[in-house]
This record gives sequence, C-alpha cells and structure tokens, in this order.
Amino acid sequence: MAYFYFIWKFHRGFLIFSAVVISAFQFLILKLVTTIDYSAITSYLLEQLPENVQAMFGKDFISMLTVEGAAAFGLNHPLVLVILSIGAITIPSRHIAGEAETGTLELVLSFPVARTKLLLNLWISVLSFLFFIILFAVSSSLVSIYIFHQLTAGLFVKMITIGCNLWLLFVFVMSLSLLLSSFGKEGNKVGIRVAGITLVFYLLHYLSSLWDTISFTKPFNFFAYYQPEDLMTGNRSFSLHFVVLFSLILICLLVSLFQFNRRDIPG
Amino acid sequence: MHQSIIISVNNLSKFYGKTLGVQDLNFSVSQGEIFGFLGPNGAGKTTTIRMLLDLLRPSFGQIHIFGKEIYDHSLEIRRRSGYLPGNFSAYGNMTGIDFLRFAGSMRRTSPKLQSSLIDRFQLSKEDLSQKVKHLSHGTLQKLGIIQAFFHQPELLILDEPTIGLDPLMQEEFYRLLFEVQNKGKTIFFSSHNLAEVEKICHRIAIIRDGKLVALETLESLKKKKVRRLKFILKEPADELKLPGAKLVKQKDLYYEYLVEGDIKPLLQKLSSFPIDDLIFPEPDLEEVFMAYYHKEE
Repeated sequence: MAYFYFIWKFHRGFLIFSAVVISAFQFLILKLVTTIDYSAITSYLLEQLPENVQAMFGKDFISMLTVEGAAAFGLNHPLVLVILSIGAITIPSRHIAGEAETGTLELVLSFPVARTKLLLNLWISVLSFLFFIILFAVSSSLVSIYIFHQLTAGLFVKMITIGCNLWLLFVFVMSLSLLLSSFGKEGNKVGIRVAGITLVFYLLHYLSSLWDTISFTKPFNFFAYYQPEDLMTGNRSFSLHFVVLFSLILICLLVSLFQFNRRDIPG
Repeated sequence: MHQSIIISVNNLSKFYGKTLGVQDLNFSVSQGEIFGFLGPNGAGKTTTIRMLLDLLRPSFGQIHIFGKEIYDHSLEIRRRSGYLPGNFSAYGNMTGIDFLRFAGSMRRTSPKLQSSLIDRFQLSKEDLSQKVKHLSHGTLQKLGIIQAFFHQPELLILDEPTIGLDPLMQEEFYRLLFEVQNKGKTIFFSSHNLAEVEKICHRIAIIRDGKLVALETLESLKKKKVRRLKFILKEPADELKLPGAKLVKQKDLYYEYLVEGDIKPLLQKLSSFPIDDLIFPEPDLEEVFMAYYHKEE
C-alpha cells in the first residue's frame, strides 16, 4: 500500500489531468453529437467527394456521428489513446529502468521488499490508475448520453464492454513497458522504444484497414483487438479481444517478473 | 568470548560479460566488528557490496549473512541490515521528510530514533521540507545516513559514508558508529579514505583490481608498514647506507627513506651520523596501501 501511495503521489498531477481531459472530451463529443444532427450534413458533404477520398473516411464514419458511434469513437480518439499511452508507458519505464539509471532502485531494493512484490505493486498501481481514468471517461459518456439523449440498458452494457476493452489494451501497453523496463537501464530509452512500438502498430493497424496488401498483419496487431465501433454495432465479440489481450498481458508480466528477478541492479 | 560470523564470503567472483568485477574473494566479518574494505575507485568495492545485498548476482561463489545464504534469504537479510549506497540518491521531487517517511514505511522504523538522528545530524525543518533535488550533497548524505540507521539494523553496510560531510559531522558519524558497534552491531565500512579506516576499523581488507591483496587486523597491518624516515644532517656524510631502508629523496643535507621491518639496526647505524633534525612519524596506512599496490605492480 505504501508503494501504491508513493506512485500515486508521484504521478497524481498527470493522472488527474488525464482523467479530467478524457472525461471532458467524452462529455463534450456526445453533447455535440446529440444536440446537432451532423450525420445528415456530413453524409451530404461526403457524397460530394471523389470515391477514393470517401474510402479514407471508412465505412463507419457516418455511423460515428450517431450517439452510439460517437460514444465508441470518443473512446478510440487519438487524443484519448495518446494520453493513456503516456501514462501506460512512462510510469513503468520511469520506476524500473529510470530508477535503475538514477540509483534509487538500488536503494529501494536494499529495503526488505521482494523484487516480485515491487514489480507487482507497480503493475497493480498503474493498472488501477488506468482503470479509474477509463472509468471516469466511460461514466462521463454515460452521463452525457443520459442528459442529452437516452441511455438504454443495451448502450450501457456496450459502453462498459468498450471501457473494459480499452483498459485491457492499455494494461497490455503498460505490461509491454514493464517488460522492456525489466531489461533496460535507461528510462528514457525504454519509454521511447515502447512509444515507438505502439505508434508503429497503431499506424500499421490504420494502414491495414485502407490497404489490402498488408491486411494480413491484422491478426498480429494488438490494436486489432480493440475495435469499439465494431463492438458497438455488434460486429465483433469482446471474448476474442479479452482472450488475446489477457494472454499478451500475462506473457509480458511473467517474462518481466522472471527477468527482473534475475537481473543485476545497477547503481 | 565466541563471536558469531555475520558475513561469510567464499570464492566470490563477478564478471560483467568478459570484464572482471571481482575475483575469488574470501573473507568473513564477525559480530560487533567494524570491518574496513579499502581500495581505490574501480577496485571492486561497490560490486562486492551490491552482491552482499543481493542487488548483483555472483558469477561464482557464495555469500552467507547471519549464517544464511543470501539469495534464498535475501528479504530477511535486508530486513536486518542497513545500507548507505556510495552515490546516495533519493527521489528528487520528494521533500526530505517525505523521503524519510517513505523509507520508514518500507522499513517499519522507530519514529523516536528517527527524530533523534535528525537532531543529531542537525537537519533543520527547512532542510527537511526542501525537495531532495535542491538539497546540498552534505544534507543528502545525512538523509542517507539516517535511513541506514533508523531501524536499528544488526548489520550496517556503508559505502563511502562520510563523503560530503563536514569534519564536525564526520566526527558525529564516527561517534554514532562506535555507539552502534558497542551495542554489538556489525559494520562493513567501505572507503578509499585511509585515515578514517585507520581511525575506526578493527580489520581491513584491501582490494585491488577485483582481488583481495590483504586481509589483516589494523595492528598487524601497521607492523608490516613501510615508514617514512626524514632527516637533515649537520654536515655531509659518506656511505649513508641504512639497513632495511630505501632512499627515495635527497637534496643537499635532506634525506628521505622508506623503512620496512625491524628498525633497531637502522637506528644504530643512524646514531653514528651527525643528525640535525629527524622526523620518524607513526606508520601511516597510506604507505602500506601504496606498498601493497606497488608490490603487485
């Protein structure tokens, strides 16, 4: 608990900022969609564009402008993904590889705390922070829908499902950062590497939906296991996403624990 | 009185890839002893210390602390030990008092002892309320000392503990060490400062290039010491060959010799010369240290 509190104190500014920005964003995006009928205007505008340009917007673009679509889109917006990525990547890399670099990890591990416990405490702390940020975001969406539209049981369940999926995705990104940190000696290097990997996978995921030649990469891309629009329309099942992301998280965590327990701690 | 062995190191080696950290170290430290671990920077002192705390894993050999194998009983050993790292660093964004609270929560410390140590090392409220990154080196070192001592550990592992402390605080620190040692605690004291090791340690190990080159009590080490004899003659003398001494410097009537072993024949010989002034100080560990090093070279 002491370590959880310590991590919270260290990052509370960023975490509160993330929760507020993402929640406000969800609230506003749903307020806009529910108060103005963008769907008709945008459909008309899109039809005026050449076909290949229309393709760039994707088949679900118009559906995004419905309440359900906007709710799903809000939780898949680059702003949300970037903010969550920053937290998921920097906290583990700073506290493991970064502290190995500054020498504070040496001090912490001279206290009577097991390496496994330390790593698990960090993992659980970040996992909890991500959970609360996403919980705020989903709650904000639900409140916005409730106030400005109509909140049905089906929509409520779908939003919770998307929230869980988003949380699993970023727990995986965080576990990946933990894995690389357990090998690394420099926090910044590890952070940049994980950010690079995440960005490459995100771009690949985006390009593979436009370009058939690389669509074979989809099953190997972890972003393919977070499709809020498809979850909202019922085109995809959450169970597959859950199984894949949970397995990846477990693998990263177990390898991190193994490596962190056997590694030398530099001073 | 039988004193139990607190630290036992057997055939300990550490390699970083092909680079040697330390090789074939063998030594033990008894309860209530202040054990000096001496060597220049890069000799392998910190590598050894990190292995004693299970921060580095040995390539070969074994370490037993409190009679227990370090890897299997790492937690218990660390619970009963206090550690001050060589380059002590704490979380820069924490205040001094927050850092002590954090360390205390990890250690289950005695708040009474903590506040008495804070008073003893003259840490003011202003010092403690400043962020660690704004503290001077000396103040930071005091925080390091407090966190190493405040849970009353049975074993203290101190890596260059007096760096950054002013002379008054150094004296206070030595007093604290003796108090702790009088209570039967064991101290593993790593330093490259010969004077302080000479002042406080019972036994000394000298490490060089990762290998132990000496492991002796302070007294036996001093007996083996090379002493520096300096004198000025009243008038020039012929055949100034002194038994067991090696001339290292001469200018006009000033002579400087390094003397090893029994000094009686030397004093007899010297009495036959017209000495104007003579300096023959207590053996200095520095000379022994250098002698060990030069021997190896």
